[in-house]
Amino acid sequence: HITEDTSDLLQHVKFQSSNFENILTWDGKLESAPDTVYSVQYKTYGEGEWLEKEGCQRITRKSCNLTVETSNLTELYYARVTAIDGAGRSATKMTNRFSPLQDTNIKPPDVTCIPKVRSIQMNVHPPYTVIRARNGHQLTLENIFQDLRYHFNLRINHTYQMHFERKQRKFEFFGLTPDTEFHGTVMICIPNLFKESAPYECQVKTLPDRTWT
Amino acid sequence: QEFQFGPCQVDGIVLQKLWQAFWAMKDIVQAQDNITSVRLLRKEVLQNVSETESCHLLHALLRFYVNTVFKNYHDKAVEFGILKSFSTLANNFFVIVSKLQASQEKMFSTRESARRRFLLFYRAFKQLDREAAVTKAFGEMDILLRWMEKFNQL
Repeated sequence: HITEDTSDLLQHVKFQSSNFENILTWDGKLESAPDTVYSVQYKTYGEGEWLEKEGCQRITRKSCNLTVETSNLTELYYARVTAIDGAGRSATKMTNRFSPLQDTNIKPPDVTCIPKVRSIQMNVHPPYTVIRARNGHQLTLENIFQDLRYHFNLRINHTYQMHFERKQRKFEFFGLTPDTEFHGTVMICIPNLFKESAPYECQVKTLPDRTWT
Repeated sequence: QEFQFGPCQVDGIVLQKLWQAFWAMKDIVQAQDNITSVRLLRKEVLQNVSETESCHLLHALLRFYVNTVFKNYHDKAVEFGILKSFSTLANNFFVIVSKLQASQEKMFSTRESARRRFLLFYRAFKQLDREAAVTKAFGEMDILLRWMEKFNQL
């Protein structure tokens, strides 16, 4: 009995996760026949039963949002996809063990940069996630990662930049030259998990000094 | 870093180093474990552990890891080219066990409840084929590290 190799139907089944939005993605055959359909199942590691993800049964797109189903940060998860092509050939592939806490990427913070005459203030907006506490309260990254820090950076010129690391979300760079352009960045860092967001960047100009005019 | 497992204090653990070692091999190791329906370090073993129990439980678990899991996984670690990470974790676990040894011997109060928790883990381990059990236990070290993290005296 020769079993046909159908591995070409399905590749790279994995979670793509940012701030705990957990999207399952996969690739199909390069010249994937339009009539190939995909069905998604998921489970908590240690559980016996695979559960079907409603809304991702016999779909033709190559992604499925499993954020709600994988929202318990103390759990580990698996997902798997079954592909069936027009000729009835099928293939099933599983993800690696997925840990939301370890595997999620951190999005850049949302920041307001406020220029003044001789300073620039940077205010990071609360980094809310899709995760909710038992009481329904929406959690921020700070609630989830106790060691979260913000890295504030301001480039003064080609050779000199100022850099500060803070737990607080607000920081002000003082002693700046009025009416001058500066490039600021803010990153989120989680040292214990070696996580770092991409930087939020702002180009901002200090106000002119009108005191003597 | 300093860790306080109930009455047992352990200094000199750099948990980030252990995390780094584990992550370097996580996907390789966990991909070898295809029994997705069994979790050895499940909630009943590690959840709601009292401070005083934690020393006994950690000592029992780490001693098992040193004497059984690492011992039987060494050849695989060589085979998969992950010996460096393997050694980092094995050596650190060995050091922690020896540091816990003295203090946990002096405590008797919560030994029995900690032993019951350990037996939950041990029975699940014994129910699996030996090689599969060792591979699974090795792949669950992130669960153990996550639990140990809670006792870090930041």
